[in-house]
Amino acid sequence: MIPVQTISLPSVPLAVLAFDGLALQAGTAHDAISLLVMTQLVAPALTLVVIGLPALLGRPLAERTTTRLVGAGFTTAFLASLAVLFVLFMRGFATEVVHVGTWFAVGHHQATIELVADGLSVPYVCFSTGLCALVNAFAGKYLHREPGFTRFFVLLALFGTGMNLMVLAGSIDVLFAGWEFLGISSTLLIGFFHERSNAVKAALRAFTTYRICDVGLLAAAVMVHRAVGSGDFERIFAGTWPNAECLVPSGAATVIAILLVFAAMGKSAQVPFSNWLPRAMEGPTPSSAIFYGALSIHAGAYVLLRCEPLLDASLLARVLLVVVGLGTALHASAVGRVQTDLKSMLAYASMTQAGIIFAEIGCGLRVVALVHIVSHAIVRSLQILRSPSALHDRHELEAALGGHPGAGGWSLRMLLPVGWQQGLYRVSLERGFEEMAAMRFVIGPVWRLLERVAAAEQAWIDWLGAKRASVNRSVRDSFPNRSDGDRR
Amino acid sequence: MSSESLHGWLLCLLAAVVAAPLVASAAVWLGIASKSPRTPAVAAMIVKLLASLSMTYLWNLGSGEAIECGDRLGGGSFVCIDGITVVLMPYVSLVQLAIVLVAPNRFLDTSATVRILLAASATFALFSTAHPLAMGVLWIATALPTWISTRNTPGGQPAARVFAIAILPAIVCLAVGTLLMVADPPWAPGSGPVGASGGRLVAVAVLIRKGIVPFHSWYPALFSGAPLSTALSATMPQVASYTAVRLLIGHADGVATELVVLSQLALVTAVYGGALALVQRDLRSLIGTLAMSQSAMVLAGLAGTLPMELNGAFCVWISSGLALTGIGLVAWALESRAGPLSIQTPQGRFRDSPALAGFFLLFGLATIGLPGTLSFVADDLIVSGSLDEQLHAGLLVIAATVLSGIAVMRGWFMIFGGPAAVDGPRHMILPRERIALTVVLATLFVLGLLPAPLVRSLERAAEQLLATP
Repeated sequence: MIPVQTISLPSVPLAVLAFDGLALQAGTAHDAISLLVMTQLVAPALTLVVIGLPALLGRPLAERTTTRLVGAGFTTAFLASLAVLFVLFMRGFATEVVHVGTWFAVGHHQATIELVADGLSVPYVCFSTGLCALVNAFAGKYLHREPGFTRFFVLLALFGTGMNLMVLAGSIDVLFAGWEFLGISSTLLIGFFHERSNAVKAALRAFTTYRICDVGLLAAAVMVHRAVGSGDFERIFAGTWPNAECLVPSGAATVIAILLVFAAMGKSAQVPFSNWLPRAMEGPTPSSAIFYGALSIHAGAYVLLRCEPLLDASLLARVLLVVVGLGTALHASAVGRVQTDLKSMLAYASMTQAGIIFAEIGCGLRVVALVHIVSHAIVRSLQILRSPSALHDRHELEAALGGHPGAGGWSLRMLLPVGWQQGLYRVSLERGFEEMAAMRFVIGPVWRLLERVAAAEQAWIDWLGAKRASVNRSVRDSFPNRSDGDRR
Repeated sequence: MSSESLHGWLLCLLAAVVAAPLVASAAVWLGIASKSPRTPAVAAMIVKLLASLSMTYLWNLGSGEAIECGDRLGGGSFVCIDGITVVLMPYVSLVQLAIVLVAPNRFLDTSATVRILLAASATFALFSTAHPLAMGVLWIATALPTWISTRNTPGGQPAARVFAIAILPAIVCLAVGTLLMVADPPWAPGSGPVGASGGRLVAVAVLIRKGIVPFHSWYPALFSGAPLSTALSATMPQVASYTAVRLLIGHADGVATELVVLSQLALVTAVYGGALALVQRDLRSLIGTLAMSQSAMVLAGLAGTLPMELNGAFCVWISSGLALTGIGLVAWALESRAGPLSIQTPQGRFRDSPALAGFFLLFGLATIGLPGTLSFVADDLIVSGSLDEQLHAGLLVIAATVLSGIAVMRGWFMIFGGPAAVDGPRHMILPRERIALTVVLATLFVLGLLPAPLVRSLERAAEQLLATP
């Protein structure tokens, strides 16, 4: 049995007394928290509309205006989250649920919009909005006069909105909505430099992985509705994070937990869904920093932390998490060591840490995992933001030393026999044969089968249509490339 | 407003909806607006849209009881206005208005405009009847302009032939099936084999006209060979779904077996269409296979037995119709500038047409369930409803949405991604294109952000439909 860590966040009776001394009634505090929580969500969303709409109508805002608006949105959200954190701290981190309303309802199926402010969501929003604000400031300079300047900031605002929606979600439906925004903004930022074929391929690879793994979250959401009649976390867990208890029956909890692990594996690039991550570095450096160094890579871990009581009810899901996490950590650690470019190396380093975080969650080390996420995100995003200038630093260092600074230090690898080291090197160089196996045994055969079916369909249509005269050829003939003037 | 005057107003508006395109087509045919046939066409479509929106508004003021006029035959009246009619009419009006606005000038000559307007009128007439024989006649009236337009397109004869090969048997099946159903209603006590055969024939007609496997080949062929306006006008209103609602789903007791077959084949088609869309090599085929998949998903939901499934199906009907219309119109606008578009390799069109790229992306995301659009609500309802009824149905619906999603994003990246010619021409979006696409997109977002009134209205309609004797 894997031990479950039960850590109580410190209660602060004196502070509560002091807070009461301010004569702030519970209802007033709740209203204030509701307003602040809504601000955290609305501020980046409003930014998205304000800069996105003019761009869609062909009148994008000026660069400086764009960065200031996005910065103001994130800063407002950050300050609001700090205020909520303070209030929650004063109230001993008691969970506050903000019921925004019912989005729609059909029979017993209700999609409610609920947000939750507790010891997990509010610190996470503080950290994510703060980081987004910093990256916004960095990107304003980094992408100056880039053709897709406005597009980047629209996607950053979309990402920020999605992240806050996911983190503050009080129901699995709202969480899924935020999760989708994350996936879409991530895909579009990987393909930001769309004129590069590699960026297009990398974006498609990432989107395909996300989409396949999103099945887990979608199915989990539907299962939750079936099990408890609602997607609200209040109906799924009882108590406050990190010591909440699961209200879902054991059998259903196991299925839901496994589906959630599956969903998290895709977004957090866990083996065997990891090969999109190093390629995702095709995107601009600021987005790589915030997505694959800091926030998006940990989205899966966050969902698992949020749904931790479901994992508690399923030993199988926790064992799976530990196995997947440790497997990913070992794989990424070995492969990362043989990478020849800095961003790929950092991608594998992120993957390693995400794997360890998964294992921590599987072991029930909730607070440790949260601290690990925040500390890793800060360090890694700094490293990725620094990576473009690191090359210059390296050249300066070599110039100052008058040559190569020398080999690295001792590593565990040296304990292995030489033959093993060579084997490990070869395996690592091929990225653990993960991608090759997927292409050879899964994607390749399926793709070839589909192509054959499509070709057979086309042959059938040709035969039906013009006695083996190709419909496509006819269409091509009928639409010769026209000049611009022909069309109006 | 009294019940009688409300009924009177609704019937007047319905007459306006059906007559406006007829009047406009007569004006175009007589050469009143020979220089710009688009003007009367757009005016007629705007009148239709306003009239159908007014019908929806007035309907919601009333008690919600269906208005029926004329002969009642085979369980349906000659004129029937109910919760389904008033929701679908504004949707179809919007689709047709967008098509007329975006159509390139070169395409919109007098005869093409007349055909579009006549088809629009016939579609609306179909959507306002539940009479089996009237439906049979209107199937012909809606199919004929599609066939003529396709045949008259240079290189479109093969597609016209495929369309005819599929639709003729469908019309025959519908005609014979409805006659048999009228003679021996399968839902009536003591019904015999004649009525049962009629139900089966109508089900086959629906399968063919919906492009359900194994009768699906005309769908991608039509999108490849016909003008996109013709393909969109023929497929997006989903006249076969409406026919299924009136003739089969409204009488589920008598045709239960047929509905099970329809639902299972539709589920297979939804997944198959999504899978085929993944490996298409040109944009038109991609849209054709996606439309086939989404249309099958509608039928899969409609053939369900839970109000939530029906509600989800109606939402998919509207959301996928609007989103695919948007994608189709963007594709048409791109094609009119640059010729047919391959999606085998990145085409680098972003630099040429950034606004069209933005619209394509947003419509694509609205097809695959972007939160905040109607398709997110639709997916949620149809997946939940399907899983509530049958586990495998839910899983197949999820698989179809996943495959369609990947196919749409592949299409976007292949069209707009990739290296662009540095000195290539820039194709700015035209104001009428921007207006049409913005209105359709805004509708998807408004209905997605505030879906409660639509969902409530559809829930009432679904419950009434399932309760129909």
